Amino acid sequence: MSKPSKLLLRFLGASLLTLAAAATLNFVVDPLQLFRPAKLFAAMYSPDSRMQDAGLIRSQDFDTVFMGTSLAIHFRQSDIDRLLGVRSLKLSMTGSSSHEQSFVLAAALERHPARVIWQVDDWIFHDAPEVDQDIYLPADLYRRNARGVVGYLFSGAMARESAWILARSIPPLRPIVARLTNGIMFKFPIASVDDINTLRPEVDVAQAYNAKKATASFANITAPARSAYLAEGYDYEATVRNFERDAIGLITGHPDVAFDIYLPPYSILQWVAMRDASPTTLATVYKFSAYLAERLVQFRNVRLYDFRGVEQVTHDLSNYADVIHHSPAVDLQVLGWLAAGKYLVDREAPTEALDQLEAQVAAYRVDAELR
Amino acid sequence: MLFNSYQFIFLFLPVALLGYFLVGRLGHSASVLWLTLSSLVFYSAGNWQFVPLLVASVAFNYAVGFWLISRRLPPAARFAVLATGVAGDLAVLVTFKYAGFLATNLNALFSTGLSISLLLPVGISFYTFTQIAFLVDAYRGKTAHYALPHYALFVTYFPHLIAGPILHHKDIIPQFENPESRRPNPHLILCGLIIFGIGLFKKTGLADGIQPLVALAFGPATPSFDQAWIGALAYSFQLYFDFSGYSDMAIGISLMFGIFLPLNFNSPYKAASIIDFWRRWHMTLSQFLRDYLYIPLGGNRHGRLLRYINLMITMALGGLWHGAAWTFVAWGALHGVYLCINHAWNKLVPAAAPRFAPLARLTAWLLTFVSVVVAWVLFRADSMASALVILSKMADPTHIVFGKAEIADGLFIAACAAIAWFAPNTQAIMGYDHRNRIVGADIDAWRWRPAFLYAGAAVLAFGILGISQHSEFIYFRF
Repeated sequence: MSKPSKLLLRFLGASLLTLAAAATLNFVVDPLQLFRPAKLFAAMYSPDSRMQDAGLIRSQDFDTVFMGTSLAIHFRQSDIDRLLGVRSLKLSMTGSSSHEQSFVLAAALERHPARVIWQVDDWIFHDAPEVDQDIYLPADLYRRNARGVVGYLFSGAMARESAWILARSIPPLRPIVARLTNGIMFKFPIASVDDINTLRPEVDVAQAYNAKKATASFANITAPARSAYLAEGYDYEATVRNFERDAIGLITGHPDVAFDIYLPPYSILQWVAMRDASPTTLATVYKFSAYLAERLVQFRNVRLYDFRGVEQVTHDLSNYADVIHHSPAVDLQVLGWLAAGKYLVDREAPTEALDQLEAQVAAYRVDAELR
Repeated sequence: MLFNSYQFIFLFLPVALLGYFLVGRLGHSASVLWLTLSSLVFYSAGNWQFVPLLVASVAFNYAVGFWLISRRLPPAARFAVLATGVAGDLAVLVTFKYAGFLATNLNALFSTGLSISLLLPVGISFYTFTQIAFLVDAYRGKTAHYALPHYALFVTYFPHLIAGPILHHKDIIPQFENPESRRPNPHLILCGLIIFGIGLFKKTGLADGIQPLVALAFGPATPSFDQAWIGALAYSFQLYFDFSGYSDMAIGISLMFGIFLPLNFNSPYKAASIIDFWRRWHMTLSQFLRDYLYIPLGGNRHGRLLRYINLMITMALGGLWHGAAWTFVAWGALHGVYLCINHAWNKLVPAAAPRFAPLARLTAWLLTFVSVVVAWVLFRADSMASALVILSKMADPTHIVFGKAEIADGLFIAACAAIAWFAPNTQAIMGYDHRNRIVGADIDAWRWRPAFLYAGAAVLAFGILGISQHSEFIYFRF
């Protein structure tokens, strides 16, 4: 064999060895806990829930799944367990569409939980593209097909996280590595599953949620330059199609699972913003809300809760960081209402809560200084 | 198909390479046909609907070229044939690339209600320019009579088809005709793999890694002073590593087939003037614009004023070539202004005294780099309005965030900058000499050869490990 041929073979061999070493490291450490729950190494978690959920579904024990958008992202699993008497797994994903949620829920339902608690609103259904077009959701990891597993094992970013978790598991290195671990440099900085995407302890809740921020947000979204955003993308027919595919499809496919679906308590300002800046959007949202309620009450395995008209929360602007995102105190109230069965939509009068909301929105007067 | 995909690296490339050398035993034409077919397969993955357009474009230009080369036509007829060919090419390019842009502008001016939305065929700007150059050279009598398979391969050759380098027929077709290229050369394959690995790492490790930082300036939120600069710098390095990474990969892949492609980058951010920058950035496009636009316009032959006008026209059209938007035209025009200032400076201002030369060079380099970064804002922004917002934030140091995230982002940018400014470039590392067809001559001589070899292997492996998701090259859009 010629000298250049030998060099070429050594080069290819060294490349393959490096690849194999990275894949082995990822398989052994398994940062996502996709193959097995963490035992040899410290379990670490990522706030990137679209990725992390694929591992949580495989590694955690649960009988209840909790799903939603950023409105359901700060809930603590320990609070859900304590107040509802369940063993929960939170899978909420910020900014997620109904199709993403339905896809992830379907993967979780393969583990046969008894109950799903699902925060839904009109927004998640308005635009829900296919998951394989979604670059943020690693769909093949949920499917656990060859492409997903190979992509996971041969991922350099994952190998970096594996090496970091490995270093964190070596006693002399543990304190310094733990101190250096943060979400900026490393993607798995969370040591407890209960802390995933909850508010960090150093966050001043009163600073984060107050009437000043809510009203500033209202002024921002209703400013002439931005108010067009409120009217974007609300195609009623498409919204209904997505709802039927993602929500009704999942519910009818799992008749043995109880679905507790709730409509979250937006601040009244969100509705008023739509009322004043885009009345046609508001009419579409009302129309879709009525459709959603009338459709969901037809299923015996669904309980629908409507918290949108809970005036003592939605009119108290100190509960909000903007016009929709509520504080952790409201998270606990939501769990309390679910536990007590409060604001359950009457199967005989599914749009009654919506009618109340419409009346509140029509009657609400915004202070002059917000204009 | 993307160079930075498992399908390409582990399936397409090995099959194409192996087939090339096996089929090559059957004869010269067979290997050329194999490579042409492989190139069409490569192009059809994800762009199958545009394969007929590509094939028609090749056939049309070959026919026009054939006419110019083979027929003895009177000068007026020759010019008419050339004009027909170039007009045909430009008509297709304008239809697919600029029709929507023209309709939008007509709408803005006359409220016509006209709306045109066509999918852009990938690589159309590159293969159109390649063939226009061929036609012009055929008209000038500077081309040989090439066989159709060689010509078809010259245009469709997959390493360069989608995003360059823009090839010149005189450089490439003789290489296709060389029987040596049909025999596997382990030395060239090894060097090609190392160059490919460097390019892949630039793309997946650096360009894709820095990409999220770009949103700090170009995302939906209004940036602060530091965020605007971080975003603009991040885009400057993302674009460089993305495109120079692609060019390295193209050169590396081609080298495995025994074909030397021209260089496209030569450490452009080390440039100490804008003139120097354009000799180092997207070099094959610069050469094309010089030879087929700037010089035919008159170049610098008709006085200083006309030279500056020619420069402005060339750069503005060069900007428009990148994309159908006013932001690209503005970017090109701004570089035209930079070049005019640079030429005027060279003409009017005497060189610095030798003792001040290092300081003058440092100042010139810094000024050049900042000017280029400022221009990239126009290149990247969605609209002129958002470009002006970002530029205004970059000029307003009254609002600075500089939190933990910005510090970490700054460190990442500093690392990328250190590579772009101080590291030797790929051709220097590999001793790649396109003109003399030499590469890796020192590999055998180096005493630290094993370390170099294993470092190269690790870079290739890290590049592959960095493939995480569908990540297109920025220049695929142009």
